[in-house]
Amino acid sequence: MSTYRRKESVPLPPKDAASYNTVCQYCNVGCGYKVYVWPDGAAGGAAADANAFGLDFTSPQVALNGLAYTESMHSVIRKRDGRDYHVAIVPAKDSPINLLGNHSSRGGSNATTTWSDSRSTRVRLHYPLLRVGDTFNAIPWADAVELQARVIKGVLDRYGSDQLAAKIYDHGGGGGGYENTYGTGRLLFTGLQMKYTGIHNRPGYSSETWGTRDRGMHELNYTAQDARLADTIVLWGANSYETATVFFAAHMMPNLQGATTEEKKKFYNATEPMGPARMIVIDPRITATVNAARKTGAQVMHLRPNLGTDYMLANAMARVVWEKKLYDTTFLNQHTDMKSFADYKAKSLQADRSYEDMLAEAERITGVPRADIEQAATWIAERKKGGFLQRTLILYEKGVIWNYRQYDTVAAIAQLGALTWSVGRPGTGTGRQGGHQEGYARPGYPGPKPPPDVDKYVQSGQGKLFWVIGCNPYLAAQNNQLFRKRIGERTAALGRFLSVSASQAGEPGSMAELAARILDGVEKTNGLFLTVQDIYQTETARDAHLILPAAQWGEAELCSLNCNSRLLRLYDRFMDPPGDARPDWDIHAMIGRRLEALYTADGKSDVSKRFAGMDWKSGEDVLASAEKDLYASANTRVPASEAGGLDPEGFKGVTYAFLREIGQNGIQTPVRMDPKTGELVGTERLYPTFKFATTDGKFGWYGTRPWDDHKSAAAVAKYLTPEGEQSYPFWFSMGRNQIIWQTAYHQRHLAEKAATIPLPYVEMSPEDASAMGFASGDMASINNEEGNGVFAVYVTDSVPKGMLFAIMYHWLGTANSLTSPYTDPMSTNPWYKGTRVAVHKLAGPLPSVIETTSFLPVNDFG
Amino acid sequence: PDGRLWPQVKVGNVKDLEQSKPVGFNYPDEKSPAWLVKLSGAAYEGAGPDSNIVAFSAICTHMGCPVEFVGDRFICPCHYSMFDPAKNGQVYQGLASDYLPQIALEIDAAGDIQAVRMSGLVWGRVSDAPVRT
Repeated sequence: MSTYRRKESVPLPPKDAASYNTVCQYCNVGCGYKVYVWPDGAAGGAAADANAFGLDFTSPQVALNGLAYTESMHSVIRKRDGRDYHVAIVPAKDSPINLLGNHSSRGGSNATTTWSDSRSTRVRLHYPLLRVGDTFNAIPWADAVELQARVIKGVLDRYGSDQLAAKIYDHGGGGGGYENTYGTGRLLFTGLQMKYTGIHNRPGYSSETWGTRDRGMHELNYTAQDARLADTIVLWGANSYETATVFFAAHMMPNLQGATTEEKKKFYNATEPMGPARMIVIDPRITATVNAARKTGAQVMHLRPNLGTDYMLANAMARVVWEKKLYDTTFLNQHTDMKSFADYKAKSLQADRSYEDMLAEAERITGVPRADIEQAATWIAERKKGGFLQRTLILYEKGVIWNYRQYDTVAAIAQLGALTWSVGRPGTGTGRQGGHQEGYARPGYPGPKPPPDVDKYVQSGQGKLFWVIGCNPYLAAQNNQLFRKRIGERTAALGRFLSVSASQAGEPGSMAELAARILDGVEKTNGLFLTVQDIYQTETARDAHLILPAAQWGEAELCSLNCNSRLLRLYDRFMDPPGDARPDWDIHAMIGRRLEALYTADGKSDVSKRFAGMDWKSGEDVLASAEKDLYASANTRVPASEAGGLDPEGFKGVTYAFLREIGQNGIQTPVRMDPKTGELVGTERLYPTFKFATTDGKFGWYGTRPWDDHKSAAAVAKYLTPEGEQSYPFWFSMGRNQIIWQTAYHQRHLAEKAATIPLPYVEMSPEDASAMGFASGDMASINNEEGNGVFAVYVTDSVPKGMLFAIMYHWLGTANSLTSPYTDPMSTNPWYKGTRVAVHKLAGPLPSVIETTSFLPVNDFG
Repeated sequence: PDGRLWPQVKVGNVKDLEQSKPVGFNYPDEKSPAWLVKLSGAAYEGAGPDSNIVAFSAICTHMGCPVEFVGDRFICPCHYSMFDPAKNGQVYQGLASDYLPQIALEIDAAGDIQAVRMSGLVWGRVSDAPVRT
């Protein structure tokens, strides 16, 4: 009875179960988890002294204070010793992040994502796979490494590094971390000097937040506690209830409910007013976050800007602050660069224009009523009774980052934060919420800023080898339908060439001969050799020539930090990877060592030495190598006041032993040495003395570009004519939801998750649904000039009339088929979140989906 | 669930159920609160002539708070997880990882509704049935 097989019991770990510390593999929040592993048949008992939890299960756990140990927190795995083991992965009660052992729907099912050949995760990649004609054959690692190294070397020698292209992850958490980002960087940047390298979710090697970093203010400058101490929390293009769930539920909600007063007393001045926090949500949709915040009883403002207009909204709010003199002159003069402020004042604040004019235009552009703009600015910056500064925490995320002119949007919000002194003080901060965790340790990128667009480069016929590492651009790249089409054509052209005989299908047998044939083929066909390195056989892998199987979270140690506190912890290894899969750093080391040997044999020591030193035996070896490479000359023996000048993710001095010692408490980066004791210490907030990461320590200002009605995004602007709006009447945006993480690489295999989101979907307003005859569950074919796809319809008041919102990366159809090729020339970052589309109703719903999938509104909490 | 000796408990009669007015009971034992409810429309695996009678554990699968029935779905007041009783207790929003445990119902000719077994683990327990200590 159920859409999936339920459990009515879970075994308890025995007292002597092996136990490990880890952190959730998914989102930016980085909740702590404990892992227990024990052999089958050795379960513990329900008495407190008979199980590893040390808890009495002879009677039910107590709500909120008890331990959550649910069906999806247990699984059975098989180790390489051939025995079955039980795995329990439960929230860590001693984590400072998921207070009280809180957890999200994603992290709560970490255990079900462990690999097992007896469960749905058996589809994990087990062996290196070589495309032979139209099938994939398993091959040994030595041969896979030989082929990859020889093709790389052939391309490098004949054409130079600009014909090598890659897409790589730059994140922490599952699949990432210092070890793996360093392994990739050491090979691709130091070794191969590849400037045509793009990041997992964007076309180039860009920062998502140059708009704030160029001001001297890193985007992760606050700490989770600030969400508990703030007077006002601003969530801008950040649907935190669904995308930073436990940060919202365990840190923001208590503040909205007025439950953090005692903590505030420790930081507030004696006579400073305090109360429940207010929240401002800036999002075109009535997200779950908007209504969850309202359900707490807090004061909530919701501003709904038109798509792609947010920087004008931020500038208008800043103008209100300027007009009403809600800034602090002393802070501006002492800690910000008043020379560049003149440019900001002229272009962003438009101070030479009348206030009335600017606000009227802002209302026209953004669609946000002037009164709301003024009230929001007041909530952010007004003095409290007694003249105390407001404590405002401003958090933004992908709604801002994947916006029109995203550089200016991030800059405008960062500058609103600086203008209102919302940084460095307890209860403040101006930065991003984060998408995934961090864990970045790479040698310098060898390309320019802004970087080249790798997706368009490869699409246009450039690049001979394309290496896709731990990401899935067949779902995640913008303008995806064209991207898939071009990559497919180029990889197929090479595939057709590989036959030795024109009339038969046989291909070369030895790796050396095959590599030579591939190199001949990419020259003669303008084909593309595609290597995919991942944990699953992704959509991108369907066109690959070579597939390299990687280990995932839990199968190798890794070090990562979360976004809300830069909290660095060790994610322990607790199980074996499937088959012959290996950690990414290990794969890169094998290929690096082979390249070193091949160039040594060629007598090219100047090239071979670039690959030297990749003889790592463990993740800890990689960490030590990264530390030596990146921080050998860095002086980290500085006080907290100087922390803003350090690498925000810096970890000099940290070892696995140290991280094991501190466990779930972790250490906040940048890790410093106490100037007096020399002991390693963390950094709570980045700019406690308002000394920013610029040469003179002052925040630098920037005047944003003048408004142009989206004209510089020609691929979207082409629809914004009367004819275009008639043919493509809907705005189209996209993003995440609560249930599935990113490409759903795990969740698509879990019946209980897949049954909840079985199809790609779009949210549609009741007005539009009524006009077009849609009911929830009906299927819609959606198209524009860029691409098309079929989506189930959710009728919801979340979206305004005339706008659709799609789940971004569903395995049965990515929303990116419809996104435009526009990128911001300042950053090479796309505007994924806005284009225009037409909608056509198909014959009706899929009956099985209607029967088993809930179409209740996810933003209605009653 | 097969092979277990689930208790059979009478939880009500069809004629006494009002639409969308949940009735509390305990199952599979006295320490396990549950809701019996007649929905406004048919439920997947619902009981009764209109397939609209369902029963679920009343404890949220996230952190154990008691769920409330509001507008044809269950909502947890602690962190707002929401479960659809027409779809096996599917957690379609919120922090819970697991669907709400469902209680299988049988209805006899007299309209008596019997709870006959659990499907899914009640939060805070390691077994819906007694376990060894």
